[in-house]
Amino acid sequence: MGRLGKWAMYAVVALLVGMAVLPFALMVITAIQATTRLEFTIRPELLTFDNFVRLFTTNNFGSALLTSSIVVVIAVVLNNIVSSLAAFGFAFKPFPGSKAVFWVYLATIMVPAQVTMIPMFILFRELGILGGHLSLALPVINAFGVFLIRQFMASIPPSLLEAARIDGASDLRIFLSIVVPAIKPVLVALTVFTFLTTWNDFLWPLISLQDGTRSTVTLAVSQLKGNFLTQYGMVMAGTTIAFLVPFIVYAVLQRQFVEGVTASGVKG
Amino acid sequence: MTTLQARGARTGAPPSTAPTRPARRAGWGGLLYIAPSLLVLTFIAIIPIVFSGYLSLTRYDVLSDPVFTGLDNYTRLLNDPNFWGALRTTAIYTLIAVPLQMIIPMILAEFLARVAGPRFSSIVRSVLFVPVVASLILVGTVWQYMLAPDSGIFNVMLKAMGLSSVNFLGNPQLALICVALVSVWKNIGYFLVLFYAGVQDIPVEQYEAARVDGAGGFKQFLHITLPGLKPVTLLCTILATIWSFQVFDLVYSMTGGGPGGATTTIVMGIYEAGFKSFQMGYASAIAMVLLVIVLIVSIVQRLAFREEH
Repeated sequence: MGRLGKWAMYAVVALLVGMAVLPFALMVITAIQATTRLEFTIRPELLTFDNFVRLFTTNNFGSALLTSSIVVVIAVVLNNIVSSLAAFGFAFKPFPGSKAVFWVYLATIMVPAQVTMIPMFILFRELGILGGHLSLALPVINAFGVFLIRQFMASIPPSLLEAARIDGASDLRIFLSIVVPAIKPVLVALTVFTFLTTWNDFLWPLISLQDGTRSTVTLAVSQLKGNFLTQYGMVMAGTTIAFLVPFIVYAVLQRQFVEGVTASGVKG
Repeated sequence: MTTLQARGARTGAPPSTAPTRPARRAGWGGLLYIAPSLLVLTFIAIIPIVFSGYLSLTRYDVLSDPVFTGLDNYTRLLNDPNFWGALRTTAIYTLIAVPLQMIIPMILAEFLARVAGPRFSSIVRSVLFVPVVASLILVGTVWQYMLAPDSGIFNVMLKAMGLSSVNFLGNPQLALICVALVSVWKNIGYFLVLFYAGVQDIPVEQYEAARVDGAGGFKQFLHITLPGLKPVTLLCTILATIWSFQVFDLVYSMTGGGPGGATTTIVMGIYEAGFKSFQMGYASAIAMVLLVIVLIVSIVQRLAFREEH
């Protein structure tokens, strides 16, 4: 690459980086000022936390935060337990027909969530769990976790498990004390992935929480926009909160986030 | 499956069926471990998929029982200009978004992995990943404000340059382009991570050999990087295309499907038919079409790439 080309590329990259940050900067700048329009400058005399205070005092953002947090925890815990158990079963305890079942698992990964949401809506309503925390968390779980963990289990030498078996360890014991520690990195990546999907989910909460008694953070943000069309400061305060949680987790667990994404590359 | 076996072969471990040792009789014990996941999957995937197919053959308004109507919903689909409009809109959106989501991260990955310093590259990747972690709803909300006719930053800048303001999201053609570009903005960091990993997997010797042969940077990109990235490109194109066909959150928050239905996509159509006018049967029929499209996209792209290998 010529020197000119190189500098042109650096300029393009700088522009992309600037564009990546700009919306978030505007979001925060608007959120922390007392204004009813979008702000591009920080005016010290306007600085305030009122927008945030009002979110919690009059818009029930606290309960939305709580709902989202509970749902995220349920989804993460369930997905990790259920997926790692199944992956163990598929990888080390094959039973007649387990291969066929695994293919069904793979096939379900290809089905878009929008195809299953209508029947799920009806099913959950009949079961009387529609709108509950569990019903918000369940759809996040899919066969992808099983596939991901099973893939990772291929690196555990079978001789290790055999040795434990000879020593008289039960399957459950082997799973808990040998397999789980060995697959920890992939469990962290799956946690990060599940967390992000659950926290940012919108369509399912939108349709399953129609009675308005409960709200997740993403739903609260969209309702905020509908109710306060020109209250830019308030709406941006809402989006700031919705953004802050995954952003902080990302800042702390950067490597795992990226691993989670790269891991999705083994899907093919 | 192929990946699994390839991986097993690389690490020297036996392929995926390794744990079945002849000494151990296959028992039913494994089913116990799969049971919890199978139960969940039955409720959120297997029953719903079958049920969705059935619903698409009924008239169902949620209040009274579904009435079986055969292929009525599908014949109605074929004659529904709104459905064809949504399909067209989604296709145009995909045609704008997918190529850009492939080309930009690909060139960027090559530059960051092979030209820029490792520190610079790592910072850029981290920053470009920030939009990835943000929800589409907040991304759409912020961008809607940025593109607003009067106070939006782009119009403020246009005015500062003495140009007249543009109603980005109020113009049917522009609105669709804007939504598609925002999705590109959001996904660059995601695909960059995948392409970057892909570039790093290409052996350095290939580039060195090319350099000895007198190939410049562009030629190296064309003859080494591009072919080397083929598997990653396949995965990314499938992902990006499928995501594009599923677009909803961005449209919902940026334009609400407007102006005049210009940004109403397939999923927007499912949502409106099912949860606005409570025609669950008709909405399910649209959903089945989406399912078929997604499956066809995956299969066709896979075959196309296999052909070239």
